[in-house]
Amino acid sequence: MSARLRVLVTVLGLDQHEAGSLAVTRLLRDAGAEVIYAGRFQIPGTIATVAVQEDVDVVGVSAHSWEVLHYAAELAERLGRADPPIPVVVGGSVITEADRAQIVRLGIDAAVAPGTSAEDIVATFRALAEGRRALA
Amino acid sequence: MGSPTRPERALFYTPASVSVDYERDLGDPGSFPYTRGTRAPRTRAPGEGHELIVRELSGEGPPERSNEQFHYLLEHGATGLDVIGDTPTQCFMDPDHPYARHAVGNQGVSVCRGADFAALYEGIPLDRVSCDHSLPGGFAAAGLFLAAEAHGHDPARLRGSAILPPLFAEDTGYSSNLPIELHMRLATDSIEFCSEHMPRFHPFVEDTYYISDGSVDVVDEMALGFVELREVVRRLIARGVDVDRFAPRIALLVNCRMDFFAEIAKIRASRRLYARMMRDEFGARDPRSLAINVAAHTSGATMTSRQIANNIARGAIQAVALTLAGVRAMEISAFDEAIRTPSRDAHIVGLGTQHVVALETGAADVADPLGGAWYVEALTDELEARIAQRIAFIEGLGDVVRLAEDGFFRAIFAEAMVDRAQEVADGTRPVVGVNVNEIAPARDTLLRDLTEKRIAPAYERIDEIAAWRAAREPGAVVAGLDRLETDCRGGANVMPALVGALRAQASMGECIGVLRECYDRPYDPLGCVERPR
Repeated sequence: MSARLRVLVTVLGLDQHEAGSLAVTRLLRDAGAEVIYAGRFQIPGTIATVAVQEDVDVVGVSAHSWEVLHYAAELAERLGRADPPIPVVVGGSVITEADRAQIVRLGIDAAVAPGTSAEDIVATFRALAEGRRALA
Repeated sequence: MGSPTRPERALFYTPASVSVDYERDLGDPGSFPYTRGTRAPRTRAPGEGHELIVRELSGEGPPERSNEQFHYLLEHGATGLDVIGDTPTQCFMDPDHPYARHAVGNQGVSVCRGADFAALYEGIPLDRVSCDHSLPGGFAAAGLFLAAEAHGHDPARLRGSAILPPLFAEDTGYSSNLPIELHMRLATDSIEFCSEHMPRFHPFVEDTYYISDGSVDVVDEMALGFVELREVVRRLIARGVDVDRFAPRIALLVNCRMDFFAEIAKIRASRRLYARMMRDEFGARDPRSLAINVAAHTSGATMTSRQIANNIARGAIQAVALTLAGVRAMEISAFDEAIRTPSRDAHIVGLGTQHVVALETGAADVADPLGGAWYVEALTDELEARIAQRIAFIEGLGDVVRLAEDGFFRAIFAEAMVDRAQEVADGTRPVVGVNVNEIAPARDTLLRDLTEKRIAPAYERIDEIAAWRAAREPGAVVAGLDRLETDCRGGANVMPALVGALRAQASMGECIGVLRECYDRPYDPLGCVERPR
């Protein structure tokens, strides 16, 4: 990818666990990405607004509570309205294989379950960013 | 403790490794400096050597459902309760707040009204069972006070505790958009209120659990905890409260992770450090002011969401460590804690683990059985010294509230979280099932089905609260909130007005909104709800 990967990392709803989002932020920065960290207390509407304003390639949502299952469809729908649509990666400790399938079924582009390697996480973000740029 | 896996240690220890003066540094259990425990054992029956309080973290859905859980736990051998609020409650947010919608009751109990506390403790013998609260500071004491009132118990007989992390609440606990000064105010006011009205209750549990699960090592866990505790003590003394009036009601809730001996030594070192600090620095004289009770919750962060059956082993090992360290009460993380608040099945395993350790191993029969072990004493000495040095370093940087507001502590936690994640990712910190001895996800089925049972948000609770809010007597609510504002701005202790406002059917979210305004913050930082007028 020519230009630098630009990512918004955030935490959904009232989820208070930040360790995962901070770790992924560091991981992506170490991989050369530009990361905007929006922190906690974000719901789909605010995430979509910030993502469009910041013109990011991908949104990464850290999910360590079950709120993600209830927000996933709205999150996908709102970011799908951007032009071109902004892909979303959801990842977190509570996501089981069954959750992963459900989250993707609800329209989220990728769901990263515990145990995914750092390389695979970065590769997921890069692939989604390239896909979006191809549409631009 | 050290990095990245375990601290540098000798291969073995000898008498030359320690320079303990028994009277000065250890003393018998129940004697200054309380290294070996705060009480002399009074019984010999198996499992009763330390009168260990057995409890499990619990709370789910509306208060009535959690009340059923409490009865279930007490019927199965729990001797204390620990209630955790759901995420909205922990953030001082009412369930009908728009941001709370999908988080109501699915990771803790939803409580926002005085009546909720009455429902929570329906039929619980509040004069005999100690009730601990992982609930917002100030509100736990106010709610329990109202529950006692509703059920005809004398508040003076209430036992239990409330965690109060004023300095680190926004960083490591549940951020609630409160200034540190307001967290401090709620802490000091509730301690003073309880010392008068609920003298058997521990209103100030210095909760280093959250600090530790913010990924810092055992030295920072205790050093940051003591920095916070010392600030609260200084403020109470400065407002004229006699140290011996409140100090006996301070307790420590520590974390227990997997570095077995470090965790034991940490607890022993902390009791000693506390005793010396209270006597020599703060002038406490009552022996009860010098002997700090230590309770522990085992580390949720050491529980893995992969190969969750391993968490049962982790909980058992941590329970043994805590028993050998002589904690007064413990709760061990349920095997599903990496995924959810404990399920009924996980609760039974957690209680059973505690009972096995207490009743079958004999580990609780003798106080401080590791006392005198060269390694344990050397480690205890080392940790006491390192914790004291770290406290001095941090306090040397200036006003700790200012440090908190400037993000000094947040930076420590953020760095530790990232470092820990990196250590797990690169394998320098071995975690069985995660980076060593892994089995494929498809074969990781042992107990998996239990953890995948999701608790649905308690949407009906949202409707109930919204209807209740609309049906209240608005004049009484507004008057209660106005009184709270007047007392807060006037410098009075806010607790009587807080109890009064809850009694007048104000909600927790409304009370905290008014208090926020007193500290020049918006009533609702997320801009969704308005103050009743």
